[in-house]
Amino acid sequence: MLSVENLSYTYPGGTEAVRGIDFTIEKGEIFGFLGPSGAGKSTTQKVLIRLLRGFQGNITVLGKPLNEWDDSYYEQVGVAFELPNHYQKLTAAENLALFRSLYSGETHDPAKLLEMVGLEEDADTRLSQFSKGMQMRLNFVRALLHKPDLLFLDEPTTGLDPVNGQKIKEIIRAQKEAGRTIFLTTHDMTVADQICDRVAFIIDGKITLIDSPRNLRLQHGERRVKVEFHRDGLSSPAQQAEFPLDGLGDNSEFLEVLRNNPIETIHTQEATLEDIFIETTGRTLT
Amino acid sequence: MDIQRILILLGKEARLGATNFMSIYVLVMPVILSLLIALVFGDLLAQTPRLGIYDASDSQQFIQPLLDHPSINTTLYGSQDALTRAVERGAEEIGLSLPAGFAEAMRSDSAQVDFTVYRWGEAGVRNLLLLESAVGRAMAEGIGSGIDQLPVGVNAEQLGSANNLTWSQRLLPLLLIMSIVLGGLFIPATSLIDERQKHTLIALTTTPATLLDVYLSKTLMGFILSALMAIIILLLNGAFAGHVALLLLVIALGGLLSSVFGIILGSVSKDMDTFMGIIKAAGILLYAPGILKIFPQVPEWIGRIFPTYYLMNPLLEVTQNGAGLADIFVDIAVMVVLAAALLILLNSVIGRQQQKLALET
Repeated sequence: MLSVENLSYTYPGGTEAVRGIDFTIEKGEIFGFLGPSGAGKSTTQKVLIRLLRGFQGNITVLGKPLNEWDDSYYEQVGVAFELPNHYQKLTAAENLALFRSLYSGETHDPAKLLEMVGLEEDADTRLSQFSKGMQMRLNFVRALLHKPDLLFLDEPTTGLDPVNGQKIKEIIRAQKEAGRTIFLTTHDMTVADQICDRVAFIIDGKITLIDSPRNLRLQHGERRVKVEFHRDGLSSPAQQAEFPLDGLGDNSEFLEVLRNNPIETIHTQEATLEDIFIETTGRTLT
Repeated sequence: MDIQRILILLGKEARLGATNFMSIYVLVMPVILSLLIALVFGDLLAQTPRLGIYDASDSQQFIQPLLDHPSINTTLYGSQDALTRAVERGAEEIGLSLPAGFAEAMRSDSAQVDFTVYRWGEAGVRNLLLLESAVGRAMAEGIGSGIDQLPVGVNAEQLGSANNLTWSQRLLPLLLIMSIVLGGLFIPATSLIDERQKHTLIALTTTPATLLDVYLSKTLMGFILSALMAIIILLLNGAFAGHVALLLLVIALGGLLSSVFGIILGSVSKDMDTFMGIIKAAGILLYAPGILKIFPQVPEWIGRIFPTYYLMNPLLEVTQNGAGLADIFVDIAVMVVLAAALLILLNSVIGRQQQKLALET
């Protein structure tokens, strides 16, 4: 679906934003592109959506070199930017209708898209009266209007409350189920962990690691389980104990804690994506 | 380039432009100015030709048809002095002084009857023709002869200023430049800057619509408004006259120049403040030929320094002097060369704009 080989991009001022990165994305995959501000993820996305030309390296999208695509590229590619960019004097329905009319292929009914993100009641409201979260939801569904094969989503859950954030994640998963490929740029490790099939860490224009969140957690986490319990009844202070995961069923000390004490929490100690990012790059995502 | 997408985007421009303060300002301003000028100087609201008559004896049969004429305002004066004073100050455009015994002399087969016609120096040619024709017909009907067989001798005398341009005519060039340039330049420029600042331009260019489609739709909007405003201003000022096809060609070239210049200015202006700064600083260069035209004593060659002269001059030549293509060929050639240069510049600007947009996002 998308293949990037030795991609480099240098801005006109001489700043080398991307330095020879390689990755491929399979059809139907959700690929998370993670990195702090200035790492090169936005530049990579701008190159992939044909906003920035003059890159070095080889990029193939939907079976064709990116340089050979013309503006029909956007009939098959959907883009949702990080910041909402709508016509504030038009209503939500009018905004979608305008963009819909620019595509020549089959498109979704704007009313259904608005319903999908809970904006059906606000279809006839001007965008100037929308909150940022509402504008973000509209931003997201606008990218789906023309049923694209490949979606570029930049921080799709930023500014959303947990309920709407969850709704967006479910829609992204549904798009994957429908066979669409998703390139997701984010610095939200939780979102990446929850919905991405694979993630790539980018820092200083270079990809430092690519794998599935599960593999990363397993590789970088400690194979231990942490138990919080009360030794002398619930009124006593909670105590903690850690046990190796291997041979846990035969660990008499662990079994004794479980049998004889009220348990408050019990967790395996796999690493979070954020821990792994910090560990592998030595940087935080902020 | 896709015509259907350009039309969709043009519809969007019209829709958004209808609620844009700047659009309303540039469209309404020239119309308001036209009406104000007409109100102050009288050409629009008092266009009915004005005729004053002093009848030294009883020439009612010649005067009555003029008093009853639906298209002219006729006033009778009690003395020759009152009549000449009225003509001198412009209250009447033509003053007709009928000497004693005029009616009798006309009815008899005697020789030629002499009388005096006073003309106000600033009277418009159109009104003079209408009045003189009405007077001639009234006299011909009065004695039952043909208008070309009237046995009269006319002493024509001009009173008041010798300038044959009314204030409305002097201000018309400025109004025309304002309407064509403001409409054509402001709308594409402000619309482009607004879309760039609100990032809707980048949203459009990540659809099958190209940057060229977007630019063309905005330029077309400016062109349409510019042409429309020019026609409205000419009509409001009673100046939509002469060779219509030639007039429309000049208006179209003017609209093209203004709108292409506008979209280029919109592209190179960092933001709305920068654009307004450029307009404030350079606006005088655009309006200069119109301002100079207000003062007929200023030599014509000074106006030729400014590009908008080559738009204003052919418009005036066609509408006021009935010029043909040969008379304004040089002006049209200059406009075509300017338009070609601007289009080449625009092509280069669009190329750079794509990169600029990506960097601004």
